[in-house]
Amino acid sequence: MAAAPAERRSGLSLLRSHWPAWLDVFAWVGRISETRYWAWLMLLPGFLLISVVIFYPVISGIWLSLHEYNLLRPARGQPFVGLQQFIDLLADEKFWLSLRNTAYFGVFNVINPFLLGLIIALALKRAVRGAGLVRTLILMPWFMPSVVAGHMWALLLDSRLGVINDILVKLGLLESYWPWFARTETAMPAILLVGLWRGFPFFALLLLAGLQSISQEMYEAAAVDGANAMSRFRHITIPLLLPVIVVAITLRTIAVVNSPDLMIILTGGGPGLATHVLSFYAFQTAYAAFDFGYAAALSVVMLGILIFFTLIYLRVAGVDRD
Amino acid sequence: MQLSFRATQRLYRFLTAAVLVFAGIFALFPLVWTGLTSLKQNTDVITAEMQYLPHNPTLENYFELWSRKSFVTLFGNSVVITVMTVSLCLLVGTSAAYAFSRYRFTGRNAALVGFLLIRMFPMVLMLIPLFIIMRNLNLLNTRIGLALAYTTFLLPIATWMLKGFFDAIPPDLEDAARIDGATRAGAIVRVVLPLAAPGVAATAVLTAIAAWNEFLFALMFTTNEASQTWPVGLHLLVGEEFNLPWGLLSAGGIISILPIIVFFVLAQKSLVRGLMQGAVKG
Repeated sequence: MAAAPAERRSGLSLLRSHWPAWLDVFAWVGRISETRYWAWLMLLPGFLLISVVIFYPVISGIWLSLHEYNLLRPARGQPFVGLQQFIDLLADEKFWLSLRNTAYFGVFNVINPFLLGLIIALALKRAVRGAGLVRTLILMPWFMPSVVAGHMWALLLDSRLGVINDILVKLGLLESYWPWFARTETAMPAILLVGLWRGFPFFALLLLAGLQSISQEMYEAAAVDGANAMSRFRHITIPLLLPVIVVAITLRTIAVVNSPDLMIILTGGGPGLATHVLSFYAFQTAYAAFDFGYAAALSVVMLGILIFFTLIYLRVAGVDRD
Repeated sequence: MQLSFRATQRLYRFLTAAVLVFAGIFALFPLVWTGLTSLKQNTDVITAEMQYLPHNPTLENYFELWSRKSFVTLFGNSVVITVMTVSLCLLVGTSAAYAFSRYRFTGRNAALVGFLLIRMFPMVLMLIPLFIIMRNLNLLNTRIGLALAYTTFLLPIATWMLKGFFDAIPPDLEDAARIDGATRAGAIVRVVLPLAAPGVAATAVLTAIAAWNEFLFALMFTTNEASQTWPVGLHLLVGEEFNLPWGLLSAGGIISILPIIVFFVLAQKSLVRGLMQGAVKG
């Protein structure tokens, strides 16, 4: 045994004498890694990349919101218009409608999955047989491409071929097939159903982790004191779970407000403007109308909304404390 | 109503089972239905009376999808872009995460919070300037352009996840290696990375899934079929044809989630652990 390291060392030195010159780079990196510059060197690529792909775009996006810039009217150039586009926003009915839809979509697309996720997390915590399997399986909707998820539900709810329509009609709950995404009154609820499906695994997983970190002794002590299940839930589970709940809800709210995917895939903001949310409006203004200046102004308003939720997140998660 | 202890226990057991069964069905039903549809011939999809199970199960849809030249291109683009994104995020992320995990320097906390805040920026706000930058650098419609765009939201998450995994490795082990004559870089390669391998793998899987699924940037930054990704191609398939080719679409959906399922099964445990790292501290 004792001979082994010595042998390896001699093998290494043999190898070293035959190394091509460029391999000295490794020795050189090794030497650098012992200096005090090493930490900064390791951080450098990350900071460079982030400056280029994030900070510069964000700042120039904010700057752009103060300019008129339409790709379809190159002759007009990019005149500086100050806050003009934000003033235009205030008079833009579509903007106000989108803002209202964003609030509606944001609230229910977070609350619904949260409630379902909480119930499932409570069930999963009881560690019955098969719970591990269910925990893995329910993560699937979360990891699906939004395009595929959207198409799946478009097929399930299709006005001619939708199996959900068929089941509802057979159960007598519906008289005839209903075009869920094409009607003003059901388009948003249908999107919320897809959002619920995609969103509940996130809450179930996070809340389960939170539940598992609550010490079992608390419950036992409370049971000894005669607390029933309901009061244990109210006085132990909810208060101790609260930080996780708030973090999960704010993170999800940010993601939901941020993403126009479902609207792009399923409704195109319609019918009419029934599912026209702010993120979709901004995307559409840039992608279809090529009015980059106005789209930037819309995004800056979204940034304001997101910063609000981010501040909540920072406070509760305490990530800035070490 | 006062239930006896045993009756209460039985009720809870029943409720638990009911909730779990419902959760499983709700999560999987759309997938199962899509799978069934992908095996149906078109005559079984468009019927007067709903056809639940495929009459003559067939792989026709899969073959037809594959024989369309564009889909091989789309699939290839997605694979290449995913690999590039993962490599970039792991290389840059590992290095930054190690520094965050092992060194205490001025501005460390601010930088860490900054990394976290990045994913709170509106995607659309970055979309526009990135589009302009990429147009100027001729990066639109290129794979490397998309991979770079994906790092905007994936690098911060990858860095946070990796930092969590590095934090869990005791520095003593590195110190021991360094006493034995290894340099710090040597200790990272020979001690830290092998120990963090499951975590690095989980980070790679998460990054890969997110890059594979990405839709918004891919839609904005590509304009021709040669450079589009798989999700964008699937989306545009709907726009092209009047009668939706549900069998084809379903086959496409199933193909695109197969890699995810494989990855997921491979790295399930550390993936779940890693997911919670950035979100909930401790």
